[in-house]
Amino acid sequence: MASAAIPRPRRRPPPFRTVSRSLLLTSPIALWALLMFTPVFRSPGRNAHLGAVVVILFMTTLFFLMMRTGKTYRWRRCFFVALGFLFPVGFIASLIHLRGSMSLSLEHMLGGDTPFCHMVIPMALIPAALTRTVIFPGSILPTATNPHSIAIMLGLWLAFTLVLGKAWCSYACFFGGIEEGFAAMPKHIRIRKIDPRLRLVPWALLIAVAVLSAALFEPVYCRWLCPFKTVTEFQRVTSVQTAMQMAIFVSLFIGLVVVLPFLTKKRTQCGFFCPFGAFQSLFNRINLFEIRFDRDKCVDCTLCRTSCPTMALSAESIREGRTLLNCMKCGACVDSCKKNAAVWHLKGTPVAVKPERARLLFLYGAWGLATMLGGSILENSLATLIGFLPLR
Amino acid sequence: MRTRWLTVLAYMGAAISLIVAASTPFVLLGAFANAVATTGVHVDAVYSGGAIARTVIRDGYQIDVNHPVHPHALQDVDPFVQIAFRPASSLPRHVKDEVDLDGDGQADVRVSFTVPSDPNARLAGEVIALNAKYRSFRTPGSEPSFSELIARSGDTVLVRVPLNEPH
Repeated sequence: MASAAIPRPRRRPPPFRTVSRSLLLTSPIALWALLMFTPVFRSPGRNAHLGAVVVILFMTTLFFLMMRTGKTYRWRRCFFVALGFLFPVGFIASLIHLRGSMSLSLEHMLGGDTPFCHMVIPMALIPAALTRTVIFPGSILPTATNPHSIAIMLGLWLAFTLVLGKAWCSYACFFGGIEEGFAAMPKHIRIRKIDPRLRLVPWALLIAVAVLSAALFEPVYCRWLCPFKTVTEFQRVTSVQTAMQMAIFVSLFIGLVVVLPFLTKKRTQCGFFCPFGAFQSLFNRINLFEIRFDRDKCVDCTLCRTSCPTMALSAESIREGRTLLNCMKCGACVDSCKKNAAVWHLKGTPVAVKPERARLLFLYGAWGLATMLGGSILENSLATLIGFLPLR
Repeated sequence: MRTRWLTVLAYMGAAISLIVAASTPFVLLGAFANAVATTGVHVDAVYSGGAIARTVIRDGYQIDVNHPVHPHALQDVDPFVQIAFRPASSLPRHVKDEVDLDGDGQADVRVSFTVPSDPNARLAGEVIALNAKYRSFRTPGSEPSFSELIARSGDTVLVRVPLNEPH
């Protein structure tokens, strides 16, 4: 009896894979990362070289840890938060270098120098389909002053969407990491009760901004509602209207990207506001990868629901063995499930049969594209930061 | 049997998505960008200024006169005509020019502006309408707008003359 009262030391679970097997599975990503950054090494610039080396090691190590531990969410979050916090650094530095300011003037809009952002896509589709006109002050093809042209960014989005569906929001979006970072900071959840009807807000906003943008022929969300204007670029404040817009951007950023994620440990902007996220959810229907629940193993402990950062799970959906349409395949539910009931799944195959194979197939595509897009953003930002260091 | 075929199809689909991911930076991105460009999709004329109607050659520089831009129904911009003076680096310090906007051989506006040595400095100037179809204005004046401006963009000085007609 006495021995039963003594707490037994907690044994660490055995690694998911051996080191050698994990290394073997990581080697394609390591090669891919080297390939992606070869052009950086070919051009001069010590800071860029250093940045590229760090990013190659960073992305490869994280993938190795995914293979070794069998966990996805924690390591993906390391990359995603780094992307979210470093993206504004590189972006703002390049704006100040090119324009001398974060604010966007009329002259820059006329010159087609505005980098195209994926947030515009759902607003630009209707006018583009009806009149072949893009309602954005960028350039269709890359130019010397604007390499992030409309066609290039559209191509990247399309590739990600075909390969990942809504996982764009957890592997590619350079904004989501900011709130994921704030959501990761506190140990405990301070606001637990969130009305599930809030999940409908992004859909309502999507319809509203798509219709209004088509009617007014301007990207309404970017002009009035985008919280991330606070940390990227915004129209120069020259009037009461532009001052109001700026006040809205800053308020939404503080509320939805900083304070609420900190209090709820959820990605509140992504889950309850972002119209692009709602639009991207539609592509989960055609994407091959998804998360499913093995009902034979599920004990309805709700750990998965608590861990989901965008409330993409409901009691009904779990009973049906599925996630909701807005699942961004971050892997939080799979990693939190103690019964291995939440599994990665390839549509068309039997559920819970070889889920690791489905995870691997998904991760190779997701991590490859993340290394290409997010990796280059990280490299650029790191090179900027290294430039500030007093190094010889 | 059906399940087996579905499984085969699913793995083939996954393989294709991996191929798409791998070929994106090397083949697909460039091909896609070129394909988009060939569809005739263009940036809204409110930003781009519309298509060039004709070019007038002056001593050391040229003036591109664009077609009038009539914004869409609910767009919050007045109709305008864009004229572009280029290259800005070859322009005299003070430019004073009469420009025919509608191509009838008569000057429609008198444009005058000072080109500052700092390319980022704001331009001060004036447009005087010689034809009732157009509106006069002066910069820096009220709130800058897409339909009424004198601004430098790269090596070009853009002048947008508002049309004197209701939107």
